[in-house]
Amino acid sequence: MSIITIANLRKNYGPIAAVDDLSLEIPSASVFGLLGPNGAGKTTAFKCMLGLAHAASGTVLYDGRPLVPATLERIAYVPERSVLYDWMTVGEHVEMNRRAFAAFSPARALELLEAFNVDPRRRVRTLSKGMRTAVTLALAFAQNAEIFVLDEPTSGLDPINQRHVLSLMINEAAKGNSVIFSSHQIGQVERAAEQIAVIDEGRLVLQGLVDDLKGDRKIVEGVFPTVAFELDGIAGDSRIVRVDRAERLVRLSVIAGADDIASRLSAAGATGVRVLDLNLEDIFLYAVSPATATADIVAKGSS
Amino acid sequence: MPAVLTVDPRSGVPIYLQIVEQIKRSIALGILQAGEQLPTVKQLAIDLTVNPNTVARAYRDLEREQVIETSPGRGSFVPANGAAQSPKVAAEVAGDALDLALREAKSVGLSRERVRELFDAALARWFVVEER
Repeated sequence: MSIITIANLRKNYGPIAAVDDLSLEIPSASVFGLLGPNGAGKTTAFKCMLGLAHAASGTVLYDGRPLVPATLERIAYVPERSVLYDWMTVGEHVEMNRRAFAAFSPARALELLEAFNVDPRRRVRTLSKGMRTAVTLALAFAQNAEIFVLDEPTSGLDPINQRHVLSLMINEAAKGNSVIFSSHQIGQVERAAEQIAVIDEGRLVLQGLVDDLKGDRKIVEGVFPTVAFELDGIAGDSRIVRVDRAERLVRLSVIAGADDIASRLSAAGATGVRVLDLNLEDIFLYAVSPATATADIVAKGSS
Repeated sequence: MPAVLTVDPRSGVPIYLQIVEQIKRSIALGILQAGEQLPTVKQLAIDLTVNPNTVARAYRDLEREQVIETSPGRGSFVPANGAAQSPKVAAEVAGDALDLALREAKSVGLSRERVRELFDAALARWFVVEER
């Protein structure tokens, strides 16, 4: 079931389409990862979802209904740049959030701050970038929200606190709440997210369950006896999205049916036929930059 | 269950399959015994820091293969006939590994006879013949 339905969302900044006809279903009780290169439109998409930026067209529905002020009470949003006041202490921010959000739990906020190792008596001015991120996250996760929209929630955090944030996200999903987050650290998305979407230049280029993408997308490799080999009948297969040939070696990028295609490659006379797994980084690079991805795979295969 | 499970999210192998394989292995090794309770989906998700639905998918697969049983209110556990289950699952785990090795041997163009020689040599290395 979807908690958020985004349909045909479009947002322009001058002549540039920051978000271009984006449609997404964000599942409830799960963690959803939004990936994309810098400037792909992830932050703009989040802002449009939350009514912080005005979309040129398209709709965003929460449980099938448009965003209203009451919906915002159910959402915890962590923007890319933390919006804390330099002159206030961390504890004063806790008090401010208690007044702003009906379900906010100051006790939970203090507990989370302690877990992140941030003293609430400190003034924000004296905090490092990572500590500011930690404060913003502690405030968000103390809001008792049902929907968490987290824009690069782990940037600037050390590995221990990064893992802590992932645990908080998983915990919310286990409670039946919904998390959507963006991150440049694909390893985190790979671990915590059940589903992902990749956007590039504002457009959706790939989406699916991480485990299904890994299960389906493979490289099938084989070596032919001579340089002049024919792939007739194989290369035309719609499950093969890319063919790379180097001398007697052929590498096929497939989006399904790897074992079947491997058998056909053997039948065509190839030896050393093998199926290589792709991790999410490989799959991401294929989606947004096929040339880079190929170089990477070739390097990996020969190592 | 002891905290024996671990996943490598950076691997190209889907996380739910990694969980399936490790639970099978734990049963084969007797780490998980007949009648033993598995952690809840929620607990294992939190322990591994992976999505609860991913763990649920692994459990569904294991149920379908009758490696584990789930009953409402009681949770998931290794079936009571798990003693019989253990050698079966062990054979399955080893069979999968052998299958992969043979596939590789075939793909690099070895003959059936040569593969048998290699297999016998490996067998002699790993399984010492008991004196009569």
